[in-house]
Amino acid sequence: MTSTVDTAGEPVPTSSLLMAAAKHIGTKCRGENLAFLKCKKDDPNPEKCLDKGRQVTQCVLHLLRDLHQNCSKELDAYAGCMYYHTNEFELCRKEQKEFEKACTL
Amino acid sequence: MTEAMIRKKAGMASVKDMPVLQDGPPPGGFAPIRFARRIPNKGPSAMAIFLATFGAFSWGMYQVGKGNKIRRALKEEKYAARRAIIPMLQAEEDERFVSEWKKYLEEEARIMKDVPGWKVGENVYHSGRWMPPATGELRPDIW
Repeated sequence: MTSTVDTAGEPVPTSSLLMAAAKHIGTKCRGENLAFLKCKKDDPNPEKCLDKGRQVTQCVLHLLRDLHQNCSKELDAYAGCMYYHTNEFELCRKEQKEFEKACTL
Repeated sequence: MTEAMIRKKAGMASVKDMPVLQDGPPPGGFAPIRFARRIPNKGPSAMAIFLATFGAFSWGMYQVGKGNKIRRALKEEKYAARRAIIPMLQAEEDERFVSEWKKYLEEEARIMKDVPGWKVGENVYHSGRWMPPATGELRPDIW
């Protein structure tokens, strides 16, 4: 993995980056996530929950952009370690501690 | 030479009077040999062995329980991360599916536009719930 940003400078939501930022996503975007899941439980039709899905995507992408602006070096190190170890938390404890010290939850 | 010429005694009448040559014990006999059992009765008692076994087993099970707790915490961390991410992934998949489904419905309307009985572009089950399209293909982009 060469870089976490695409041509426009936005962070690309790869699996390693999402797993690295999962704790932040779980706390900051909790409302949107729960609303989307409730909508899905009521009606699994994808066309019915498109707006809530867009809210979820916007929340997560904004959060990733904020994290990338505030502590890009630690985030890149942590996401790179996750990419190398295929999303194993136990093998990336050092980078995780650095990341959570830089961008507190 | 025969034995009689080697071991002869003066004035021997026949071979039967020859002095005997035997392998025997030394004079005074051999020393006495002990062959009775003397198994000692010391060492740990039955209760001591049982307590040691029970102690080792319970300490081992305690270590197993501690390790299981740690492993369960790790698994919970991984599952919590997956729970946080999955709405985002499902939302992206929904967007992709909706655009593909629109293309598919247009294609179906184009193919079936001359068929008289074909009602509309969409034709699914009658239960009222939405079911995913059952094409039988697991990953259509690969195939």
